[in-house]
Amino acid sequence: MTARLLPWLFVLFMALLPLWMRDQYILYVLTSTGIFIIAAMSLNLLLGYTGQLSLGHVAFFGIGAYTSALLSLGFDLDWGGAEPFVLDPQPVWLAFLGGILMAALFGWLIGRLAFRVRGAYFVIVTISFAQVMRMVALNWVDLTEGPMALNNIPPLSVWVPGEGVLPLYKKEYYYLLVLAMGVLGYVVIQRLVCSRVGRALIALRENESLARSVGINVTRYLVVATVISAGMAGASGALYTHYIRIVDPDVFMFIYTVTMVIMVITGGKGTLAGPVVGGLLFGFLPEVLREVARPEVQWIIYGAVMIVIVFFLPQGIVPAVTKLFAGKKKRAQRAARTPTTPRITEGASS
Amino acid sequence: MVKKNAFATVATMALMVSGGAMAQDTVKIGVNQPLTGAVAASGNYVTNGARIAEEVLNAKGGVLGKKVALVIEDNKSNPKEAVAAAEKLIVRDKVPVMMGAWSSTLTLAVMPKLVEYSVPMVVETSSSGKITTSGNPWVFRIAPTSAMEAKAFGEKMDQFSPPIKKADFLAVNNDFGRGASDEFRKMLEGKGIKVGVVETMAPEATDLSAQLANIKQSGGDTLFVTTGVEQITLVLKQAAEQRLPQRIITTGGSSSPDQLVAQAGEAANNSYHILFFAPWFPDKATNPDVAKAFVDAWKQKGYDFAGLTEGFRGYDGIMTIAEAVKGAGKAEPQAIRDALWTTKVSGVNGNIAFTKEGPSGKESGQNQPNIYIVQVKDGKVTLP
Amino acid sequence: MPEFLQHLANAVILGGTYALLGIGLTLIFGIMRVVNFTHGELYTFGAYMAFMLAGMFGLNFFASLALAALLGMALGALIEFALLRPLKGADIDTTMLVMIGAGIAMQAGEQLMWGGVAKSVPNPFPTDPFVLGPVSVGPIRLFVLAVAVVLLVIFYLLLNRTKLGVAMRATFQDPDTAALMGVNNGLMYTLTFAIGSGLAAIAGALLGPIFVVTPTMGDLVALKAFAIVILGGLGNIPGATIGGFVLALVEEFGAGYLSSGYRDAMGFLLIIAVLLVRPQGLFAAKERIG
Repeated sequence: MTARLLPWLFVLFMALLPLWMRDQYILYVLTSTGIFIIAAMSLNLLLGYTGQLSLGHVAFFGIGAYTSALLSLGFDLDWGGAEPFVLDPQPVWLAFLGGILMAALFGWLIGRLAFRVRGAYFVIVTISFAQVMRMVALNWVDLTEGPMALNNIPPLSVWVPGEGVLPLYKKEYYYLLVLAMGVLGYVVIQRLVCSRVGRALIALRENESLARSVGINVTRYLVVATVISAGMAGASGALYTHYIRIVDPDVFMFIYTVTMVIMVITGGKGTLAGPVVGGLLFGFLPEVLREVARPEVQWIIYGAVMIVIVFFLPQGIVPAVTKLFAGKKKRAQRAARTPTTPRITEGASS
Repeated sequence: MVKKNAFATVATMALMVSGGAMAQDTVKIGVNQPLTGAVAASGNYVTNGARIAEEVLNAKGGVLGKKVALVIEDNKSNPKEAVAAAEKLIVRDKVPVMMGAWSSTLTLAVMPKLVEYSVPMVVETSSSGKITTSGNPWVFRIAPTSAMEAKAFGEKMDQFSPPIKKADFLAVNNDFGRGASDEFRKMLEGKGIKVGVVETMAPEATDLSAQLANIKQSGGDTLFVTTGVEQITLVLKQAAEQRLPQRIITTGGSSSPDQLVAQAGEAANNSYHILFFAPWFPDKATNPDVAKAFVDAWKQKGYDFAGLTEGFRGYDGIMTIAEAVKGAGKAEPQAIRDALWTTKVSGVNGNIAFTKEGPSGKESGQNQPNIYIVQVKDGKVTLP
Repeated sequence: MPEFLQHLANAVILGGTYALLGIGLTLIFGIMRVVNFTHGELYTFGAYMAFMLAGMFGLNFFASLALAALLGMALGALIEFALLRPLKGADIDTTMLVMIGAGIAMQAGEQLMWGGVAKSVPNPFPTDPFVLGPVSVGPIRLFVLAVAVVLLVIFYLLLNRTKLGVAMRATFQDPDTAALMGVNNGLMYTLTFAIGSGLAAIAGALLGPIFVVTPTMGDLVALKAFAIVILGGLGNIPGATIGGFVLALVEEFGAGYLSSGYRDAMGFLLIIAVLLVRPQGLFAAKERIG
């Protein structure tokens, strides 16, 4: 019973945090970590539940960021026709939605393309995709301003009863917004994973040929997972860009993908809480390390911590903790284990 | 003399009385620089220059009777970390003023924080025009924009013989490179000079043979190169390999000619460099004593001589801030900002003062720096 | 026309080193199924070793190169022994994460040791290029090409004509049977990783003198190596060789004629294009699903 309540208690705790946490810096770290946790959760859907190693996830993050920024700032584009195409600045939430949809669209495209292959080839295709997006953002200066960056991006705004529409400059409000989005994302993934689609995904992760042979349309489910995953990553990208209020091609840096991957795997891939735990750990670690050592050594410690965690807890932190607390609850453990023998899981029968 | 001391004493006492939160025994200055990551070399040079300024100031008794304490944070050459570093400096360390963040994208990322917390920042290196035209009244830049650099160069252009008739451009694909490329092109076209080929290179690119092969065939006589010193080394070496006929002029002040000579060897000969500080000729600087003292202090600490062409920015930045704190009479952000408008400093680059730039009512401060042109001849840096 | 020949010459020479990188990684990624994010760092390590030996200690240039390769192999063996062996049987992403951590630590370590300022490697080659009509090539580049070709040949012979090579290939195809035949699997894996890393290190040592040595030089190179591996097909040594040259050609000509800004994206665009048409890469047999 407590296991089911635990996530909600946690959310309650986090929601009440700004009431007593006066330290703005910690609020900042929590908010920016929260944004990356949302991205990590979306990556977990691909990495943990479908078993596909996508190393291009930052591409969706960046696409969401740029789309939302461009729509909210307005732009004009010379597309070779007689007149440039001009778009006026759109309301911020519309732009945000646009970011999600554009990222989801690319998710669909990549899903259809990349899932013709598996394993190592898939890894490379995803990496390639992210690098190409980075180059496009860098070179298509007419649209994206390239390295000159899009700045003065409007913040997200919220309708507060009695005060009308408030732009979210205040940290506490943005923190709550990110928390709300995070909870929403978590619930979406939970619903998905526990549904028929989720079971199909797990089936294909455990043994793809077998899943196929029972009639599961593997590609279709993979594409569905990718679209949702991409859309969520796009949402986190849009959140990021309206928070930092500047976007440039560095948003596609490979290190951001690496950060998300670290969060998912150390936390526990294929578990719902994994990305959150991994995210909190690796979101705070660099900030804590600032006080501890000189810059190069901070990185060395960071790398060492990653290695140590994976050595001692190869399945991640959450599965290890779950195992510790509830020896009977083998189910969570099974979901994250590597397939060694073909076995029919619940989803395959439907 | 007496008045000055009395003022300092009263100011110090006022500071101590003004409240527990602000009472510190040092004047903290935040430094937000890339100390690891892709541009770590430059960030470290600037930070070393800042450290020298700290020492010089403290040797003279500090500022407002207190020691200057630099709080240095690494922004890891990455915008997200630049913002995190700024947050930590402002919120945790409670610095009343900052210097940073080296590159334009890092600085632009930090700028909204300045408005959020009402803390001023002195920008020591970034060149993007947007920094001072975005309506942020907490930004004060001592480094020049590419437009200023191009204009100043245009005035000194006649000393080149043979004169520049057709120019090509090779710039790193970021705001620094593109900005320089655009501004120099505009300036040259304004003088009726033809523009040949305009090429870009990715910041981490090492093989520039494709771009250079195109430039070789362009028919131009001069190639303007804008990028960091590592890539300039590569450009020089590969240009020599391909027997490029153009004379090479580097812009942006990051070229560190000594390092080029050491690493590109003969390939560096006959190249020209636009710098904002010429450490081989400190007597040619606007404030020769300041320049000489800085160069000596740098050498004494055993820092790489090649880093002087960037290190001075950190020095001038901290000196500017210190002067503003003195003018403000207290280490408080609002007061420091107001004082910056009237601050005048004899810096290593030249005389520093801020003029208004940007949308009215929300102007940022911009300084008009000097440029120096040097040439590499027979492995030595000379004045052409 | 003249630029065409120059571009061609540039591409051929670059292709040699890309091939070395590709082979090293196809062994490790293709055969051992380790997503090796330390490959780029071994490349950087090789370059720094060449700098340290030839530049700081004043050793003979050619000796430094050989030593750099050996040190790279040693480091590779150490990484495999300390980090990968204990993880035998773990997921591909678990090992990948360990490699990422090691890669991060290595890069920071390199900056700690030698600083972030670029270093150059002194070498005995004259800087005046050989000029053949419109094409000029620096002597050191020809040397690099020659060494790359020699190493490729040696490696091919090693794998196909020696007992060791047979043992390695046996382990890759079927570890259990190979073990039954008396092959020490653990040793084969360590050796494979070591050789792959050694190849990366020597590629770095060869390119260090041509370019400059910085702690972040391996980042982009590592990603390109993955691209080469895919082009050639996982585990396909001749494929990786050709893939290396193909990538260099595409980059050179793409950058020269299409857009220099997109140069580094060329390889990735090529991957996507190839995988659209031929999902198994240019040469390999179809990758088994599952």
